[in-house]
Amino acid sequence: MTHPSLAVIARYADREAALDEVTAWSVEVHLESCADCRSLMAGYATDDTRALLDRIAVGVDRGIATGPAPAPRRRWAPARHRWLVWHLVPWLTMTVAVLACAALLQAVQPAFPSLVALLAPVAPLPGVAVAWSRRHDPAWELIAGTPRSGLAMLLRRTAAVLSVVVPALALASSHTGVSLAVTLLPCLAFTAATIAVGAYAGVRRAAVVLGAAWTLAVILPTVVTADMPVVLQPGSSLGWVLLTLALCGFAAIQAPTFRRLSSRN
Amino acid sequence: MSDPGHSRDRTEGDETDVLLGVRRILDEAELVRRTAAGDRRAFDELYRRTSPWLLARLRRRCADDDVVADVMQETYLAVWRAAGSFAGQATSGSAAGWLWTIAAHRLVDAFRRRARQAQLPAVPLAETVAPAAEDEVLAGWVGHELEQALLELPPEAREVLRAMVLDGFSVRETSVLLGVPENTVKSRARRARIALREALS
Amino acid sequence: MRTVSAAETAPTLHPWAIHTEDLRVRAGRHLAVNGLDLTLGTGVHGLLGPNGAGKTTLMRALATVLKPAGGRLRLLGEPVDGRADLRQVRRRLGYLPQQFGFYPRFTLREFVEYMAWLKEMPKTAIPGATQRAIERVGLEAKAGARMKTLSGGMLRRAGIAQAIVNDPAVLLLDEPTVGLDPEQRLDFRELLRDVGVDSCVLVSTHLVEDVVAACTDVVLVNEGRLVHQGTPDDLIAQGGPGDPGDSPAERGYSALLRRDRAVSAR
Repeated sequence: MTHPSLAVIARYADREAALDEVTAWSVEVHLESCADCRSLMAGYATDDTRALLDRIAVGVDRGIATGPAPAPRRRWAPARHRWLVWHLVPWLTMTVAVLACAALLQAVQPAFPSLVALLAPVAPLPGVAVAWSRRHDPAWELIAGTPRSGLAMLLRRTAAVLSVVVPALALASSHTGVSLAVTLLPCLAFTAATIAVGAYAGVRRAAVVLGAAWTLAVILPTVVTADMPVVLQPGSSLGWVLLTLALCGFAAIQAPTFRRLSSRN
Repeated sequence: MSDPGHSRDRTEGDETDVLLGVRRILDEAELVRRTAAGDRRAFDELYRRTSPWLLARLRRRCADDDVVADVMQETYLAVWRAAGSFAGQATSGSAAGWLWTIAAHRLVDAFRRRARQAQLPAVPLAETVAPAAEDEVLAGWVGHELEQALLELPPEAREVLRAMVLDGFSVRETSVLLGVPENTVKSRARRARIALREALS
Repeated sequence: MRTVSAAETAPTLHPWAIHTEDLRVRAGRHLAVNGLDLTLGTGVHGLLGPNGAGKTTLMRALATVLKPAGGRLRLLGEPVDGRADLRQVRRRLGYLPQQFGFYPRFTLREFVEYMAWLKEMPKTAIPGATQRAIERVGLEAKAGARMKTLSGGMLRRAGIAQAIVNDPAVLLLDEPTVGLDPEQRLDFRELLRDVGVDSCVLVSTHLVEDVVAACTDVVLVNEGRLVHQGTPDDLIAQGGPGDPGDSPAERGYSALLRRDRAVSAR
């Protein structure tokens, strides 16, 4: 890097000195990236500049004395706030507790069709519903009008929900001897379905409807007949995968609708 | 606070750390990090190193020394109070970029206050001084054709260009700074771009 | 040093920041804004009206939080109804709702930084802008305090700080002076006037004195329609000694409302 000559720097430091504009621009561009030349300028301060700097220093001293000390930086705070939202915590705790109970009941009654597998699809739904709901999110009104509010944000929060629910499900299934594919794939499919349907009806309503539909159509008959339903047999995994992919694609197409979901949530 | 023009005596916690006989010069980013921890000496050193440059640059944007003094004071106080947040940004070791941004925004705020109080802001118009033959012009950004084209622009267009390109102001901020309507700023910027593009082609 | 794009220097074809034509917005089932025609440019505008006039619903529609049920709405020249891409417009908006919640565990600085991130401000600009916003509302002493420890007036000011952090071209404030003491209200009026130098500010409030003191333009709405738009002096001129009110502005306000109700009763 070629530095400007000391004469040029001296003329730049003095407002009264004649310095043509083009040179002034070049000097300013250089100074923005060169700390050495910046420190050099201290030596070329005229008397009135020095007086001004002293006056400013006194003012800053006063401000520091009367104000608060610099606050320490919470390094992880911004990243944590963007992903984890506190109002989800009670709902996630409830979900994990229910899964734990299901696993315990399974251990007690091994002959009964797996409760963990039956509950797996609806396990993430409370979390997802609460993640994007005007009633539960205290800062909803503020978030709704920002550019970042939309599908990406919903997905971030859903990821936080899944990061709790999926390990819990995996743990519960491995302890009760149910295959992971049978529990995790329906779980992901229903999450995608909630988001996809939520584009039209509102995420909370979608979660309630899907949860109720699953309970009535699958859980109740299974409890009554004590037979594992067809949709949860190991061979149905491929179907679930295809369904999940289709729903994800559908949700992606509906992405613009999420920017103004507030009127329906 | 130390007089920026004089050198300081070596005391503990001074700018050069004598550590096992090895001298370590602290760059501006390190000074900001230490300020965030509450180190007053590091903050004073940061002031000593950056204030002459910042003052010179501000004085070329505003003829009123009182306004410049207020802007500088607010800038350094902001650095002191929020050093923790700024410390995370100092990636290149240089504090100049964001330091200028803080000062620039305070300058616009000061001009808004002035406009509100219906006192016209004092901004010196660009002087059309042709470069003397012996002046060194850096080759980095300003090439000869660009320099010629810049000189041929009317001073108002040069002002707008300096505010938007060099200082990083938006159209709205430039309009407050120069005291002209937004559409005027835009048309001057457009003319400048066209002229420069012609000169460079 | 930065590059200046052609889009940035393209001429502005519209002299206004907010423009509505026959705007209709629902609040629940009720049509709170019913055929509103409004045009606002740079400056500080006060929004007055009785309870239930549709002020809050109008603010929410302008903040792009609610989708209009009909009519046209343009912000900064961009259409905002229908399936428009809202990201560009929202980056230049600032909004303070009447009742806003927050995450109590955030500190004030983290809250404003989070809102700045949500508004897609460039990452390097966020700390500086946050500090500037906090100082402009006078809360620098509380920058490290948690939101749940702030009093009502401070929370309101924190809300104003998040609204101005991105230096918006359109600033919408719904009842911003609730909980502020008289001195803070004076500071706030100065802040409004500063911001109003180069952006469009719309302040919805019950307090007629706030409007007269800080606003260059008064908009009066009733039952979701525009009743009157003019300067504070116009408002005062509308009232006479027979109208109820403690100040000339309040008398003008009651006179206009009375006349409007008489018209709509017919």
